Amino acid sequence: MKPLFSIRLVFIALALGLLLAISLSLSLGPVAMSLDTPWRVLLSRLGLPLLVEPQAQLIIEQIRLPRTLLGLAAGGVLALCGVAMQGLFRNPLADPGLIGVSSGAALGAALMIVLGAGLGGLAPEWSPYLLSASAFAGGLLVTSVVYRLGRKQGRVDVATMLLAGVALAALAGALIGLLQYLADDATLRTLTFWNLGSLNGASYSRLWPLLAIALLVLVSLPRSASALNALLLGESEARHLGVDVERLKRRLILLTALGVGAAVAACGMIGFVGLVVPHLMRLLLGPDHRTLIPASMLAGASLLLLADVLARLLVAPAEMPIGVLTALIGAPFFLYLLVRGRSHA
Amino acid sequence: MLKCDNLHVQRGGKTILAGINLTLQDGEVLAVLGPNGAGKSTLLAALSGELLPSLGQVLFADKPLAAWLGSERAQRLAVLPQQSSLNFAFVVDEVVGLGRLPHASGRQRDSEIIGLALEAADAAHLRGRNYVELSGGERQRVHLARVLAQLWPGQGGQVLLLDEPTSMLDPLHQLATLKAVRAFAGQGAGVLVILHDLNLAARFADRIALLHQGGLHAIGTPDEVLTEGNLQTVFNLPVIMSRHPELGCPWVIPR
Amino acid sequence: MRRNTLLAMALGLLINPAQAAERLISVGGAVSEWLVALGGEQHLVAVDSTSRHPLSLTALPNVGYQRNLTAEGILALQPDALIGTEEMGPPPVLAQLKGAGVNLYTLSSAPSLPTLEANLAQLGALLGREAEAQAQYQAFQAQLAQLEQQLSQQSSQPGVLLLLSHAGGNPMVAGTDTAGDWLIKLAGGHNLASHEGYKPMTSEALLALAPQVLVVTDRALTGAKARAALLEQQPALAATPAGLAQRLPVIDPTLLVGGVSPRVPKAVAELAQAFYPALQLPSSTLAGSAP
Repeated sequence: MKPLFSIRLVFIALALGLLLAISLSLSLGPVAMSLDTPWRVLLSRLGLPLLVEPQAQLIIEQIRLPRTLLGLAAGGVLALCGVAMQGLFRNPLADPGLIGVSSGAALGAALMIVLGAGLGGLAPEWSPYLLSASAFAGGLLVTSVVYRLGRKQGRVDVATMLLAGVALAALAGALIGLLQYLADDATLRTLTFWNLGSLNGASYSRLWPLLAIALLVLVSLPRSASALNALLLGESEARHLGVDVERLKRRLILLTALGVGAAVAACGMIGFVGLVVPHLMRLLLGPDHRTLIPASMLAGASLLLLADVLARLLVAPAEMPIGVLTALIGAPFFLYLLVRGRSHA
Repeated sequence: MLKCDNLHVQRGGKTILAGINLTLQDGEVLAVLGPNGAGKSTLLAALSGELLPSLGQVLFADKPLAAWLGSERAQRLAVLPQQSSLNFAFVVDEVVGLGRLPHASGRQRDSEIIGLALEAADAAHLRGRNYVELSGGERQRVHLARVLAQLWPGQGGQVLLLDEPTSMLDPLHQLATLKAVRAFAGQGAGVLVILHDLNLAARFADRIALLHQGGLHAIGTPDEVLTEGNLQTVFNLPVIMSRHPELGCPWVIPR
Repeated sequence: MRRNTLLAMALGLLINPAQAAERLISVGGAVSEWLVALGGEQHLVAVDSTSRHPLSLTALPNVGYQRNLTAEGILALQPDALIGTEEMGPPPVLAQLKGAGVNLYTLSSAPSLPTLEANLAQLGALLGREAEAQAQYQAFQAQLAQLEQQLSQQSSQPGVLLLLSHAGGNPMVAGTDTAGDWLIKLAGGHNLASHEGYKPMTSEALLALAPQVLVVTDRALTGAKARAALLEQQPALAATPAGLAQRLPVIDPTLLVGGVSPRVPKAVAELAQAFYPALQLPSSTLAGSAP
């Protein structure tokens, strides 16, 4: 398909959109402040003699900045992993959940939430770290089982992996159901909120692992862009084009398990971004991964930041779950493009 | 160039190919004929390294196929599968451009080659079109252009393996495609092509390999292989052998 | 005399507005109720979503569910202190609030009298109303003690189950270590459920336990409607001794979460009346001390 808009135009729009999203995320919140305050805080940190209100400085540096960084990294990495999975499965509707990483992370988190509560509550200063670690470990564990089940005679059979992923997701779902049965009311609500995702409570100390992994995905995935293009032809065709397909598949699975695992561990389940952002970008730019990968990263980060701005403003001083908003913003736009695409075809 | 010795291939415990000896020379077009289930596609899969022989081996430029580095092999060996499952909305140029992946020849040179390969496959008018909006025959020609681009411009030491490249084409484009293949072999590459149309094989192939029940029944020039006896045995098809009135090549007329 | 005190206090506030904690956010239904009961309502700038009593609190800004607080939303209200129970969270947000200079007071939500006494002492100190808090606790305790004394003369303790129901689902039954269990015991009943926490139970299991009284609570419905909805969904319950005798008292579900509410003595007295119909309770007990 001929791109609807020129590639350069789309990238300029995406980059401006991300800049806008970042500045909105830094300057909007329940505490009202002027739009230039974040920049004044930044400049004063850089040594310029600007007058900055201490409370505004605290809110921007300790609350909004880590939150913005978390949204950037999580949104970008979820979209990138979506691209990787849609390429691996050669299916534009594939989702990172297919290889079991989300269900494994959900199971890890549920275990920690419910059993933690059952053991009389975890030490509050440790519980966020334990929860993240448990979710991350759960995601990696289930994905590695799915991967092992998909291996046949040294090759990874993607179709078998898909089925193994479905079966293990069902199994994880059953175990989560069992944990929910064991849980009390309050613990159930904690689980529910975790499942809807949130950037709330972001702190620098819990941000670094995700930032590091996001950087790794961001650097690694574009190097596989051409190989991913070839993979869309089919595995044997890709091999005939000189692609080491088994290595590529291992790489995609590993990056996705790390990326989605870390994102989910840091901010709970945020659906939709990984599924729809790459799909949207493909509708705009075509399936070439050399443009699809950077575009999805920019769009995923922007979508998550904008959803988070809404999440904190809509019901302030309380907060909406961000998973609700990513779907509320993304789904209608997605439908619009689908209908529009159909009338074009 | 591409050579197999005593090739045996098993699939699911069943022997599909047994004792195949075959050598594909530079610059020749070798057509592989045989009824459904004779093992034609399995032979192509074994020759391209997709299936491992249970016995015997495949040598490419005197080196076992498996010993080749993926990208180096891809610069010299291209494979066109019977059907493509590609279902992403690439522009035609991008699909053909995928053939340039093993080469680092630069964007400009690639673009030139994409144009030339599309022209060779009689698909130049499809440039800029959305791949998923093409008909089956048009897609087949685009993929032919892709494998041509992979080896472009074609030279000795290269091998092109084609699995029924004309299956979805109208008669005019069947001819055009095989002419393009013939011309490509003229640049030096060896071409092995699976065909169903006996007369197309008779007209365009230098040699014909006739597969029967997993074995090589006959191999040689069209005149040697396309005999009433061979075709009766292999296809269970009674035929009258004649000659093309203008070109003089063998002409098969089913009774 | 009392009017004078109030006047003096009001003047004091006007003259010296910075005496006690000025702007409070209360998180947790029972905490908010007690703050209001102790006369601290004018200090409240926001409450959480579980603070539904008294009704006037619902007009205040809502900081959301107590386990899902947000730092900035709370800071925007410029509170001096945040008062809640150990159910408040998530921990990173509490850390951010502490870092921003908000005083956090974490009370216990365990259903017991010693906990209540300690909580009230802390709330009293916070509001500068220690004596009032002490008096309220004593009144609370006295009502329960009086009831206990009356109940001690009753024989044949009824078997009770407490059902927490909501549209469409199996009712959850209050087991041991729940606020429901505590209420049943205070009202002189014997909780037939022996599991821990709230768990769903099939109609058949409920029938087998043969409860003489079924305490009904519904998240959405009150009074006779809650009763009717439960019997409609679980027709088998009508065949229990409680159903046959129509002994189906209804209590407010907000009594079951977030700690001990000031409405507990009244609710317990009502339950006791349902458990022991012959019981002669003084009308003041049933009127209760709830604000």
